[in-house]
Amino acid sequence: MIKDITIGQYFSAKSVIHRLDARIKIILTIAFIVNIFLIKNFWGLGVIVATLIATTLLSKVPFKMILKSIKPIVFIVIFTAVLNLFYMQDGRNLLPESWFISITDKGLIFAFFLAVRIITLVIASSLLTYTTTPTELTFAIEKLLSPLKLIKVPVNTFATMMTLALRFIPTLIEETDKIMSAQKARGADLETGGIIDRIKAMVPILIPLFVSSFRRANDLAFAMECRCYTDGEGRTRMKQNKISFKDIAALVIIVLITTGIVLLNTFFTHVI
Amino acid sequence: MPVLQAVNVSHRYTQASPTQFSAIENVNIEIENGELVGIIGHTGSGKSTLVQHFNGLLKPTEGKILLDGKDIWESKKTVHQSRFKVGLCFQYPEYQLFEETVYKDIAFGPKNMKLSEEEIDKAVRKAAEYVGISASMFQKSPFDLSGGEKRRVAIAGVMAMEPQVLILDEPTAGLDPKGRDRILDMIKAYQKDTKKTVIFVSHSMEDVAKLATKVLVMNKSRVAMYDTVDNVYSRAEELTEMGLNVPQVTKIFMSLKKQGVDVSQNIYTVEQGKAELLRLLGGSKK
Repeated sequence: MIKDITIGQYFSAKSVIHRLDARIKIILTIAFIVNIFLIKNFWGLGVIVATLIATTLLSKVPFKMILKSIKPIVFIVIFTAVLNLFYMQDGRNLLPESWFISITDKGLIFAFFLAVRIITLVIASSLLTYTTTPTELTFAIEKLLSPLKLIKVPVNTFATMMTLALRFIPTLIEETDKIMSAQKARGADLETGGIIDRIKAMVPILIPLFVSSFRRANDLAFAMECRCYTDGEGRTRMKQNKISFKDIAALVIIVLITTGIVLLNTFFTHVI
Repeated sequence: MPVLQAVNVSHRYTQASPTQFSAIENVNIEIENGELVGIIGHTGSGKSTLVQHFNGLLKPTEGKILLDGKDIWESKKTVHQSRFKVGLCFQYPEYQLFEETVYKDIAFGPKNMKLSEEEIDKAVRKAAEYVGISASMFQKSPFDLSGGEKRRVAIAGVMAMEPQVLILDEPTAGLDPKGRDRILDMIKAYQKDTKKTVIFVSHSMEDVAKLATKVLVMNKSRVAMYDTVDNVYSRAEELTEMGLNVPQVTKIFMSLKKQGVDVSQNIYTVEQGKAELLRLLGGSKK
Protein backbone atom coordinates (compact mmCIF):
# COMPACT_ATOMS: atom_id res chain seq x y z
CA MET A 1 0.00 0.00 0.00
CA ILE A 2 2.71 2.45 0.96
CA LYS A 3 4.62 1.55 -2.17
CA ASP A 4 1.79 3.03 -4.25
CA ILE A 5 2.81 6.54 -3.31
CA THR A 6 4.48 8.13 -6.31
CA ILE A 7 6.06 11.44 -5.48
CA GLY A 8 8.07 13.28 -8.09
CA GLN A 9 6.32 11.01 -10.54
CA TYR A 10 8.37 10.92 -13.69
CA PHE A 11 6.94 9.25 -16.75
CA SER A 12 9.67 8.06 -19.04
CA ALA A 13 8.93 8.63 -22.71
CA LYS A 14 10.56 10.09 -25.78
CA SER A 15 8.70 13.24 -26.72
CA VAL A 16 9.34 16.83 -27.67
CA ILE A 17 8.11 17.92 -24.26
CA HIS A 18 10.50 15.55 -22.51
CA ARG A 19 13.40 16.93 -24.53
CA LEU A 20 12.66 20.58 -23.76
CA ASP A 21 15.11 22.21 -21.40
CA ALA A 22 13.92 21.99 -17.80
CA ARG A 23 14.49 25.71 -17.23
CA ILE A 24 12.30 26.55 -20.19
CA LYS A 25 9.67 24.09 -19.01
CA ILE A 26 9.46 25.76 -15.61
CA ILE A 27 9.13 29.18 -17.24
CA LEU A 28 6.47 27.81 -19.60
CA THR A 29 4.51 26.29 -16.74
CA ILE A 30 4.59 29.53 -14.75
CA ALA A 31 3.57 31.55 -17.79
CA PHE A 32 0.76 29.12 -18.51
CA ILE A 33 -0.52 29.34 -14.94
CA VAL A 34 -0.51 33.14 -15.17
CA ASN A 35 -2.56 32.80 -18.36
CA ILE A 36 -5.04 30.55 -16.60
CA PHE A 37 -5.81 33.45 -14.30
CA LEU A 38 -5.76 36.07 -17.02
CA ILE A 39 -8.69 34.67 -18.96
CA LYS A 40 -11.93 36.59 -18.71
CA ASN A 41 -14.22 34.83 -21.19
CA PHE A 42 -14.96 31.52 -22.87
CA TRP A 43 -12.67 32.31 -25.82
CA GLY A 44 -9.70 32.50 -23.51
CA LEU A 45 -10.82 29.38 -21.73
CA GLY A 46 -10.94 27.58 -25.06
CA VAL A 47 -7.39 28.63 -25.86
CA ILE A 48 -6.15 27.40 -22.45
CA VAL A 49 -7.87 24.02 -22.71
CA ALA A 50 -6.75 23.55 -26.32
CA THR A 51 -3.13 24.37 -25.45
CA LEU A 52 -3.21 21.95 -22.55
CA ILE A 53 -4.67 19.13 -24.63
CA ALA A 54 -2.12 19.72 -27.38
CA THR A 55 0.74 19.67 -24.87
CA THR A 56 -0.55 16.50 -23.25
CA LEU A 57 -0.79 14.75 -26.61
CA LEU A 58 2.72 15.90 -27.53
CA SER A 59 4.13 14.68 -24.23
CA LYS A 60 2.92 11.09 -24.82
CA VAL A 61 1.92 10.86 -21.17
CA PRO A 62 -1.06 8.48 -21.12
CA PHE A 63 -4.46 9.92 -20.31
CA LYS A 64 -4.73 7.56 -17.34
CA MET A 65 -1.71 9.16 -15.69
CA ILE A 66 -3.25 12.60 -16.14
CA LEU A 67 -6.45 11.43 -14.49
CA LYS A 68 -4.42 10.02 -11.62
CA SER A 69 -2.96 13.45 -10.96
CA ILE A 70 -6.40 15.06 -10.67
CA LYS A 71 -7.83 12.35 -8.44
CA PRO A 72 -6.55 13.78 -5.14
CA ILE A 73 -8.02 17.23 -5.84
CA VAL A 74 -11.49 16.18 -6.99
CA PHE A 75 -12.90 16.91 -3.56
CA ILE A 76 -11.32 20.38 -3.36
CA VAL A 77 -12.61 21.25 -6.83
CA ILE A 78 -16.17 20.20 -6.05
CA PHE A 79 -16.09 21.89 -2.66
CA THR A 80 -14.86 25.27 -3.94
CA ALA A 81 -17.14 25.16 -6.97
CA VAL A 82 -20.25 24.47 -4.88
CA LEU A 83 -19.27 27.10 -2.33
CA ASN A 84 -18.85 29.70 -5.06
CA LEU A 85 -22.09 28.68 -6.69
CA PHE A 86 -24.03 29.78 -3.63
CA TYR A 87 -21.76 32.62 -2.62
CA MET A 88 -21.92 34.50 -5.93
CA GLN A 89 -25.35 36.14 -5.86
CA ASP A 90 -25.00 38.71 -8.66
CA GLY A 91 -26.96 38.23 -11.83
CA ARG A 92 -30.20 36.51 -12.74
CA ASN A 93 -31.59 33.87 -10.39
CA LEU A 94 -32.11 30.55 -12.16
CA LEU A 95 -34.14 28.90 -9.41
CA PRO A 96 -37.80 29.64 -8.53
CA GLU A 97 -38.14 32.73 -6.29
CA SER A 98 -39.91 30.76 -3.57
CA TRP A 99 -36.84 28.59 -2.88
CA PHE A 100 -34.71 29.72 0.01
CA ILE A 101 -31.51 29.23 -1.95
CA SER A 102 -30.71 30.90 -5.21
CA ILE A 103 -28.28 30.12 -7.98
CA THR A 104 -27.51 32.86 -10.45
CA ASP A 105 -26.24 32.57 -14.00
CA LYS A 106 -23.15 34.51 -12.99
CA GLY A 107 -22.57 32.20 -10.05
CA LEU A 108 -22.80 29.20 -12.34
CA ILE A 109 -20.23 30.60 -14.75
CA PHE A 110 -17.98 31.65 -11.91
CA ALA A 111 -18.04 28.18 -10.35
CA PHE A 112 -17.38 26.58 -13.73
CA PHE A 113 -14.39 28.84 -14.41
CA LEU A 114 -12.99 28.14 -10.98
CA ALA A 115 -13.23 24.37 -11.40
CA VAL A 116 -11.60 24.48 -14.82
CA ARG A 117 -8.87 26.77 -13.52
CA ILE A 118 -7.93 24.45 -10.66
CA ILE A 119 -7.98 21.37 -12.86
CA THR A 120 -5.89 22.92 -15.64
CA LEU A 121 -3.45 24.28 -13.08
CA VAL A 122 -2.90 20.86 -11.57
CA ILE A 123 -2.61 19.14 -14.93
CA ALA A 124 -0.10 21.72 -16.16
CA SER A 125 2.12 21.36 -13.13
CA SER A 126 1.92 17.59 -13.10
CA LEU A 127 2.85 17.55 -16.77
CA LEU A 128 6.01 19.34 -15.71
CA THR A 129 6.95 16.63 -13.21
CA TYR A 130 5.81 13.82 -15.51
CA THR A 131 8.14 14.97 -18.26
CA THR A 132 11.12 16.18 -16.22
CA THR A 133 13.40 14.02 -14.08
CA PRO A 134 13.98 15.24 -10.52
CA THR A 135 17.64 15.89 -11.25
CA GLU A 136 16.82 18.07 -14.23
CA LEU A 137 14.24 19.86 -12.16
CA THR A 138 16.66 20.71 -9.37
CA PHE A 139 19.23 21.82 -11.89
CA ALA A 140 16.67 24.11 -13.46
CA ILE A 141 15.56 25.55 -10.15
CA GLU A 142 19.17 26.17 -9.23
CA LYS A 143 19.78 28.02 -12.48
CA LEU A 144 16.58 30.03 -12.31
CA LEU A 145 17.24 31.08 -8.73
CA SER A 146 20.90 31.93 -9.37
CA PRO A 147 20.24 35.70 -9.50
CA LEU A 148 19.48 35.36 -5.79
CA LYS A 149 23.20 34.70 -5.26
CA LEU A 150 23.66 38.43 -5.57
CA ILE A 151 21.88 38.86 -2.27
CA LYS A 152 23.93 35.99 -0.79
CA VAL A 153 21.29 33.27 -0.87
CA PRO A 154 23.11 29.89 -1.00
CA VAL A 155 21.24 28.65 -4.07
CA ASN A 156 23.67 25.79 -4.76
CA THR A 157 23.24 24.39 -1.29
CA PHE A 158 19.47 24.52 -1.63
CA ALA A 159 19.70 22.65 -4.91
CA THR A 160 21.85 19.93 -3.33
CA MET A 161 19.39 19.67 -0.46
CA MET A 162 16.52 19.21 -2.88
CA THR A 163 18.35 16.56 -4.88
CA LEU A 164 19.12 14.63 -1.70
CA ALA A 165 15.56 14.92 -0.42
CA LEU A 166 14.19 13.53 -3.66
CA ARG A 167 16.80 10.79 -3.71
CA PHE A 168 15.79 9.56 -0.27
CA ILE A 169 12.04 9.37 -0.76
CA PRO A 170 12.09 5.74 -2.04
CA THR A 171 14.58 4.76 0.67
CA LEU A 172 12.36 6.21 3.37
CA ILE A 173 9.29 4.50 1.95
CA GLU A 174 11.09 1.18 2.05
CA GLU A 175 12.26 1.87 5.59
CA THR A 176 8.73 2.77 6.69
CA ASP A 177 7.47 -0.46 5.23
CA LYS A 178 10.07 -2.44 7.15
CA ILE A 179 9.39 -0.72 10.47
CA MET A 180 5.65 -1.15 10.00
CA SER A 181 6.12 -4.89 9.50
CA ALA A 182 8.35 -5.12 12.54
CA GLN A 183 5.83 -3.34 14.77
CA LYS A 184 2.97 -5.36 13.33
CA ALA A 185 4.93 -8.47 14.26
CA ARG A 186 4.88 -7.16 17.83
CA GLY A 187 1.11 -6.89 17.64
CA ALA A 188 0.82 -3.19 16.78
CA ASP A 189 -2.64 -2.59 15.43
CA LEU A 190 -2.50 -0.05 12.64
CA GLU A 191 -5.74 -0.73 10.88
CA THR A 192 -8.53 -0.57 13.42
CA GLY A 193 -9.73 1.94 15.98
CA GLY A 194 -10.77 5.57 15.86
CA ILE A 195 -8.70 8.49 14.63
CA ILE A 196 -7.02 9.06 18.00
CA ASP A 197 -6.08 5.37 18.27
CA ARG A 198 -4.63 5.40 14.81
CA ILE A 199 -2.58 8.51 15.44
CA LYS A 200 -1.27 6.93 18.63
CA ALA A 201 -0.45 3.78 16.69
CA MET A 202 1.82 5.82 14.41
CA VAL A 203 4.22 6.68 17.26
CA PRO A 204 6.05 3.31 17.18
CA ILE A 205 6.61 3.85 13.46
CA LEU A 206 7.51 7.52 13.39
CA ILE A 207 10.10 7.46 16.16
CA PRO A 208 12.28 4.72 14.64
CA LEU A 209 11.85 6.42 11.28
CA PHE A 210 13.08 9.75 12.66
CA VAL A 211 15.99 8.11 14.40
CA SER A 212 17.09 6.29 11.28
CA SER A 213 16.65 9.39 9.11
CA PHE A 214 18.99 11.33 11.34
CA ARG A 215 21.45 8.47 11.33
CA ARG A 216 21.28 8.30 7.56
CA ALA A 217 21.71 12.04 7.18
CA ASN A 218 24.73 11.94 9.45
CA ASP A 219 26.30 9.06 7.54
CA LEU A 220 25.64 10.75 4.24
CA ALA A 221 27.14 14.05 5.37
CA PHE A 222 30.20 12.17 6.52
CA ALA A 223 30.49 10.24 3.26
CA MET A 224 30.13 13.45 1.23
CA GLU A 225 32.82 15.18 3.25
CA CYS A 226 35.10 12.19 2.74
CA ARG A 227 34.74 12.75 -0.96
CA CYS A 228 35.70 16.38 -0.54
CA TYR A 229 32.27 17.92 -0.98
CA THR A 230 32.31 21.58 -0.17
CA ASP A 231 29.23 23.62 -0.96
CA GLY A 232 27.96 23.80 -4.51
CA GLU A 233 29.93 26.89 -5.59
CA GLY A 234 31.89 26.38 -8.80
CA ARG A 235 30.86 22.78 -9.37
CA THR A 236 30.61 21.61 -12.94
CA ARG A 237 28.03 19.22 -14.34
CA MET A 238 28.38 15.96 -16.18
CA LYS A 239 25.44 16.82 -18.42
CA GLN A 240 25.56 20.29 -19.94
CA ASN A 241 22.12 21.55 -20.78
CA LYS A 242 21.96 23.93 -23.70
CA ILE A 243 19.04 25.98 -24.90
CA SER A 244 18.15 24.77 -28.38
CA PHE A 245 15.90 25.89 -31.19
CA LYS A 246 12.82 24.06 -29.89
CA ASP A 247 13.18 25.79 -26.52
CA ILE A 248 13.12 29.17 -28.21
CA ALA A 249 10.14 28.04 -30.29
CA ALA A 250 8.29 27.02 -27.15
CA LEU A 251 8.95 30.43 -25.61
CA VAL A 252 7.65 32.15 -28.74
CA ILE A 253 4.49 30.01 -28.60
CA ILE A 254 3.76 30.89 -24.99
CA VAL A 255 4.31 34.61 -25.75
CA LEU A 256 1.86 34.31 -28.65
CA ILE A 257 -0.70 32.56 -26.45
CA THR A 258 -0.37 35.23 -23.78
CA THR A 259 -0.80 38.02 -26.34
CA GLY A 260 -3.75 36.17 -27.81
CA ILE A 261 -5.45 35.90 -24.46
CA VAL A 262 -4.87 39.58 -23.66
CA LEU A 263 -6.35 40.49 -27.05
CA LEU A 264 -9.35 38.18 -26.51
CA ASN A 265 -9.88 39.89 -23.17
CA THR A 266 -9.90 43.33 -24.70
CA PHE A 267 -12.04 42.57 -27.76
CA PHE A 268 -14.69 40.29 -26.30
CA THR A 269 -16.99 40.90 -23.35
CA HIS A 270 -15.85 39.66 -19.95
CA VAL A 271 -18.04 37.02 -18.36
CA ILE A 272 -16.26 37.04 -15.02
CA MET B 1 0.76 -32.70 15.33
CA PRO B 2 3.23 -30.18 13.90
CA VAL B 3 2.99 -26.70 15.40
CA LEU B 4 3.58 -24.95 12.10
CA GLN B 5 2.77 -26.29 8.70
CA ALA B 6 3.10 -24.80 5.26
CA VAL B 7 0.90 -26.43 2.66
CA ASN B 8 1.74 -25.68 -0.97
CA VAL B 9 2.65 -22.11 -0.12
CA SER B 10 3.61 -19.81 -2.96
CA HIS B 11 4.09 -16.09 -2.88
CA ARG B 12 4.47 -13.82 -5.87
CA TYR B 13 5.36 -10.17 -5.83
CA THR B 14 3.68 -8.33 -8.65
CA GLN B 15 3.83 -4.75 -7.50
CA ALA B 16 7.54 -4.20 -7.74
CA SER B 17 8.00 -5.02 -11.40
CA PRO B 18 5.82 -5.76 -14.40
CA THR B 19 7.22 -9.28 -14.64
CA GLN B 20 5.93 -11.63 -11.99
CA PHE B 21 8.53 -12.56 -9.49
CA SER B 22 8.10 -15.59 -7.30
CA ALA B 23 9.61 -15.13 -3.90
CA ILE B 24 8.72 -18.61 -2.72
CA GLU B 25 7.20 -21.43 -4.63
CA ASN B 26 5.36 -24.52 -3.56
CA VAL B 27 6.71 -24.76 -0.04
CA ASN B 28 5.63 -27.78 1.97
CA ILE B 29 7.10 -28.14 5.43
CA GLU B 30 6.11 -29.27 8.87
CA ILE B 31 7.77 -27.92 11.94
CA GLU B 32 7.34 -30.01 15.07
CA ASN B 33 6.93 -28.61 18.53
CA GLY B 34 10.17 -27.98 20.42
CA GLU B 35 12.40 -28.03 17.42
CA LEU B 36 15.24 -25.63 16.73
CA VAL B 37 15.19 -25.08 12.99
CA GLY B 38 17.91 -23.27 11.10
CA ILE B 39 16.99 -21.81 7.74
CA ILE B 40 19.87 -21.21 5.36
CA GLY B 41 20.04 -20.11 1.78
CA HIS B 42 21.59 -17.67 -0.59
CA THR B 43 20.59 -13.99 -0.58
CA GLY B 44 17.26 -13.74 -2.35
CA SER B 45 16.42 -17.40 -1.94
CA GLY B 46 13.18 -16.55 -0.16
CA LYS B 47 14.15 -17.13 3.48
CA SER B 48 12.80 -13.84 4.80
CA THR B 49 9.66 -14.06 2.70
CA LEU B 50 8.98 -17.52 4.06
CA VAL B 51 9.27 -16.54 7.72
CA GLN B 52 7.01 -13.54 7.19
CA HIS B 53 4.30 -15.99 6.19
CA PHE B 54 4.51 -17.83 9.48
CA ASN B 55 3.00 -14.99 11.50
CA GLY B 56 0.63 -13.70 8.86
CA LEU B 57 2.56 -10.60 7.81
CA LEU B 58 2.43 -11.82 4.25
CA LYS B 59 -0.50 -13.62 2.78
CA PRO B 60 0.37 -16.57 0.57
CA THR B 61 -0.75 -16.14 -3.03
CA GLU B 62 -1.47 -19.84 -2.98
CA GLY B 63 -1.60 -22.42 -0.24
CA LYS B 64 -2.10 -22.30 3.48
CA ILE B 65 -0.18 -21.77 6.66
CA LEU B 66 -1.47 -23.91 9.49
CA LEU B 67 -0.73 -22.99 13.08
CA ASP B 68 -1.70 -25.80 15.44
CA GLY B 69 -3.61 -27.30 12.54
CA LYS B 70 -5.68 -24.16 11.93
CA ASP B 71 -5.40 -21.86 8.95
CA ILE B 72 -4.09 -18.53 10.19
CA TRP B 73 -5.90 -16.64 7.43
CA GLU B 74 -9.28 -17.96 8.52
CA SER B 75 -10.40 -14.59 9.88
CA LYS B 76 -9.02 -11.21 10.87
CA LYS B 77 -8.89 -12.37 14.46
CA THR B 78 -6.84 -15.47 13.75
CA VAL B 79 -4.32 -13.39 11.80
CA HIS B 80 -3.96 -10.97 14.70
CA GLN B 81 -3.65 -13.88 17.12
CA SER B 82 -0.96 -15.52 15.03
CA ARG B 83 1.24 -12.43 15.49
CA PHE B 84 1.41 -13.27 19.19
CA LYS B 85 1.62 -17.02 18.86
CA VAL B 86 4.43 -16.75 16.37
CA GLY B 87 6.91 -14.10 17.47
CA LEU B 88 8.91 -12.77 14.55
CA CYS B 89 12.04 -10.76 15.14
CA PHE B 90 13.22 -8.97 12.01
CA GLN B 91 16.69 -8.41 10.66
CA TYR B 92 18.42 -5.56 12.48
CA PRO B 93 15.62 -5.42 15.05
CA GLU B 94 17.37 -2.63 16.97
CA TYR B 95 15.93 -0.15 14.44
CA GLN B 96 12.42 -0.79 15.68
CA LEU B 97 13.05 0.43 19.25
CA PHE B 98 11.03 3.53 20.04
CA GLU B 99 9.99 3.76 23.68
CA GLU B 100 11.44 6.03 26.34
CA THR B 101 12.81 3.20 28.43
CA VAL B 102 14.09 -0.30 27.84
CA TYR B 103 11.35 -1.69 30.07
CA LYS B 104 8.55 0.01 28.15
CA ASP B 105 9.96 -1.17 24.85
CA ILE B 106 10.09 -4.80 25.92
CA ALA B 107 6.56 -4.40 27.26
CA PHE B 108 5.18 -3.15 23.94
CA GLY B 109 4.30 -6.61 22.64
CA PRO B 110 2.67 -7.94 25.84
CA LYS B 111 0.77 -4.66 26.15
CA ASN B 112 -0.68 -5.15 22.69
CA MET B 113 -1.82 -8.57 23.88
CA LYS B 114 -3.89 -6.75 26.51
CA LEU B 115 -2.29 -8.63 29.41
CA SER B 116 -2.66 -7.40 32.99
CA GLU B 117 0.04 -5.24 34.62
CA GLU B 118 1.43 -8.15 36.63
CA GLU B 119 1.51 -10.50 33.68
CA ILE B 120 3.30 -7.87 31.61
CA ASP B 121 5.83 -7.28 34.37
CA LYS B 122 6.50 -10.98 34.71
CA ALA B 123 6.89 -11.46 30.97
CA VAL B 124 9.24 -8.49 30.65
CA ARG B 125 11.50 -9.61 33.49
CA LYS B 126 11.68 -13.13 32.17
CA ALA B 127 12.47 -12.04 28.61
CA ALA B 128 15.12 -9.61 29.85
CA GLU B 129 16.71 -12.42 31.79
CA TYR B 130 16.92 -14.65 28.71
CA VAL B 131 18.77 -11.99 26.76
CA GLY B 132 20.95 -10.93 29.66
CA ILE B 133 19.57 -7.46 30.21
CA SER B 134 19.73 -6.69 33.93
CA ALA B 135 16.96 -4.89 35.80
CA SER B 136 19.31 -1.96 36.39
CA MET B 137 19.07 -1.12 32.69
CA PHE B 138 15.26 -1.03 32.60
CA GLN B 139 14.99 2.71 33.10
CA LYS B 140 17.63 3.61 30.51
CA SER B 141 16.67 4.94 27.11
CA PRO B 142 17.08 2.23 24.49
CA PHE B 143 18.90 4.76 22.31
CA ASP B 144 21.73 5.03 24.87
CA LEU B 145 22.62 1.35 24.66
CA SER B 146 25.39 -0.23 22.62
CA GLY B 147 24.57 -1.96 19.36
CA GLY B 148 24.66 -5.45 20.83
CA GLU B 149 22.53 -4.42 23.81
CA LYS B 150 19.97 -2.78 21.55
CA ARG B 151 19.74 -5.97 19.55
CA ARG B 152 19.17 -8.02 22.68
CA VAL B 153 16.51 -5.63 23.98
CA ALA B 154 14.71 -5.89 20.65
CA ILE B 155 14.82 -9.68 20.76
CA ALA B 156 13.51 -9.57 24.33
CA GLY B 157 10.61 -7.48 23.04
CA VAL B 158 9.55 -10.42 20.91
CA MET B 159 10.32 -13.06 23.54
CA ALA B 160 8.15 -11.17 26.04
CA MET B 161 5.05 -12.07 24.05
CA GLU B 162 5.84 -15.65 25.06
CA PRO B 163 5.16 -16.99 21.60
CA GLN B 164 4.73 -20.67 20.87
CA VAL B 165 7.16 -20.27 18.01
CA LEU B 166 10.01 -17.76 18.06
CA ILE B 167 11.42 -16.75 14.69
CA LEU B 168 14.64 -14.76 14.40
CA ASP B 169 15.64 -13.40 11.02
CA GLU B 170 19.44 -13.24 10.92
CA PRO B 171 19.82 -12.44 14.59
CA THR B 172 23.61 -12.21 14.36
CA ALA B 173 23.91 -10.02 11.26
CA GLY B 174 26.47 -7.28 11.67
CA LEU B 175 27.67 -8.32 15.13
CA ASP B 176 31.26 -9.00 16.15
CA PRO B 177 32.21 -12.63 16.97
CA LYS B 178 31.68 -12.05 20.69
CA GLY B 179 28.26 -10.51 20.20
CA ARG B 180 27.35 -13.30 17.80
CA ASP B 181 28.29 -16.05 20.22
CA ARG B 182 26.34 -14.31 22.93
CA ILE B 183 23.18 -14.23 20.82
CA LEU B 184 23.60 -17.87 19.78
CA ASP B 185 24.12 -19.03 23.38
CA MET B 186 21.09 -17.02 24.36
CA ILE B 187 18.91 -18.67 21.72
CA LYS B 188 20.07 -22.09 22.81
CA ALA B 189 19.41 -21.36 26.49
CA TYR B 190 15.99 -19.94 25.69
CA GLN B 191 15.02 -23.01 23.73
CA LYS B 192 16.32 -25.38 26.37
CA ASP B 193 14.44 -23.58 29.11
CA THR B 194 11.10 -22.98 27.41
CA LYS B 195 11.05 -26.12 25.23
CA LYS B 196 9.37 -23.98 22.59
CA THR B 197 9.95 -24.02 18.88
CA VAL B 198 12.63 -21.69 17.59
CA ILE B 199 13.31 -20.93 13.95
CA PHE B 200 16.28 -18.84 12.94
CA VAL B 201 17.48 -17.62 9.59
CA SER B 202 21.20 -17.48 9.08
CA HIS B 203 23.90 -17.14 6.48
CA SER B 204 26.43 -19.00 8.50
CA MET B 205 26.60 -22.77 8.15
CA GLU B 206 28.69 -22.84 11.33
CA ASP B 207 26.01 -21.11 13.36
CA VAL B 208 23.33 -23.42 12.08
CA ALA B 209 25.48 -26.47 12.83
CA LYS B 210 26.09 -25.23 16.35
CA LEU B 211 22.45 -24.68 17.20
CA ALA B 212 19.91 -26.34 15.01
CA THR B 213 18.27 -29.73 15.35
CA LYS B 214 16.93 -29.47 11.84
CA VAL B 215 18.04 -27.53 8.82
CA LEU B 216 15.90 -26.06 6.09
CA VAL B 217 17.80 -25.15 2.95
CA MET B 218 16.18 -22.70 0.58
CA ASN B 219 17.37 -22.44 -3.00
CA LYS B 220 15.84 -20.34 -5.77
CA SER B 221 12.48 -19.84 -4.00
CA ARG B 222 12.07 -23.51 -3.21
CA VAL B 223 12.82 -25.76 -0.28
CA ALA B 224 15.87 -27.71 -1.37
CA MET B 225 16.34 -29.79 1.77
CA TYR B 226 14.67 -30.12 5.10
CA ASP B 227 16.36 -32.64 7.32
CA THR B 228 18.59 -33.19 10.33
CA VAL B 229 21.94 -31.42 10.46
CA ASP B 230 23.85 -34.64 9.73
CA ASN B 231 21.80 -35.52 6.70
CA VAL B 232 21.94 -32.06 5.21
CA TYR B 233 25.63 -31.42 5.78
CA SER B 234 26.64 -34.76 4.33
CA ARG B 235 25.35 -33.53 0.98
CA ALA B 236 28.22 -31.06 0.78
CA GLU B 237 28.48 -31.14 -3.00
CA GLU B 238 24.87 -30.16 -3.54
CA LEU B 239 25.22 -27.38 -1.01
CA THR B 240 28.27 -26.01 -2.77
CA GLU B 241 26.35 -26.02 -6.03
CA MET B 242 23.74 -23.82 -4.39
CA GLY B 243 26.46 -21.39 -3.44
CA LEU B 244 26.45 -22.49 0.18
CA ASN B 245 29.49 -23.78 1.94
CA VAL B 246 29.85 -26.48 4.54
CA PRO B 247 31.97 -25.35 7.49
CA GLN B 248 35.74 -25.47 6.97
CA VAL B 249 36.21 -28.13 9.65
CA THR B 250 33.75 -30.35 7.88
CA LYS B 251 35.70 -29.96 4.66
CA ILE B 252 38.92 -30.97 6.37
CA PHE B 253 37.38 -34.06 7.90
CA MET B 254 35.73 -35.01 4.64
CA SER B 255 39.03 -34.90 2.79
CA LEU B 256 40.72 -36.81 5.61
CA LYS B 257 38.12 -39.50 5.18
CA LYS B 258 38.74 -39.51 1.44
CA GLN B 259 42.43 -40.09 2.05
CA GLY B 260 41.59 -43.12 4.11
CA VAL B 261 41.80 -41.76 7.65
CA ASP B 262 39.18 -43.35 9.82
CA VAL B 263 37.29 -40.25 11.03
CA SER B 264 33.65 -39.41 11.36
CA GLN B 265 32.29 -37.15 8.64
CA ASN B 266 29.74 -35.52 10.86
CA ILE B 267 32.03 -32.83 12.19
CA TYR B 268 30.60 -29.32 11.96
CA THR B 269 32.21 -27.36 14.73
CA VAL B 270 35.77 -26.89 15.87
CA GLU B 271 34.89 -28.45 19.24
CA GLN B 272 33.60 -31.60 17.59
CA GLY B 273 36.72 -31.68 15.42
CA LYS B 274 38.97 -31.39 18.44
CA ALA B 275 37.19 -34.26 20.18
CA GLU B 276 37.35 -36.40 17.08
CA LEU B 277 41.07 -35.74 16.59
CA LEU B 278 41.78 -36.54 20.23
CA ARG B 279 39.85 -39.75 19.88
CA LEU B 280 41.85 -40.62 16.79
CA LEU B 281 45.20 -39.75 18.34
CA GLY B 282 44.35 -41.47 21.60
CA GLY B 283 43.26 -44.54 19.66
CA SER B 284 46.45 -44.77 17.65
CA LYS B 285 48.58 -44.62 20.78
CA LYS B 286 47.23 -47.89 22.07
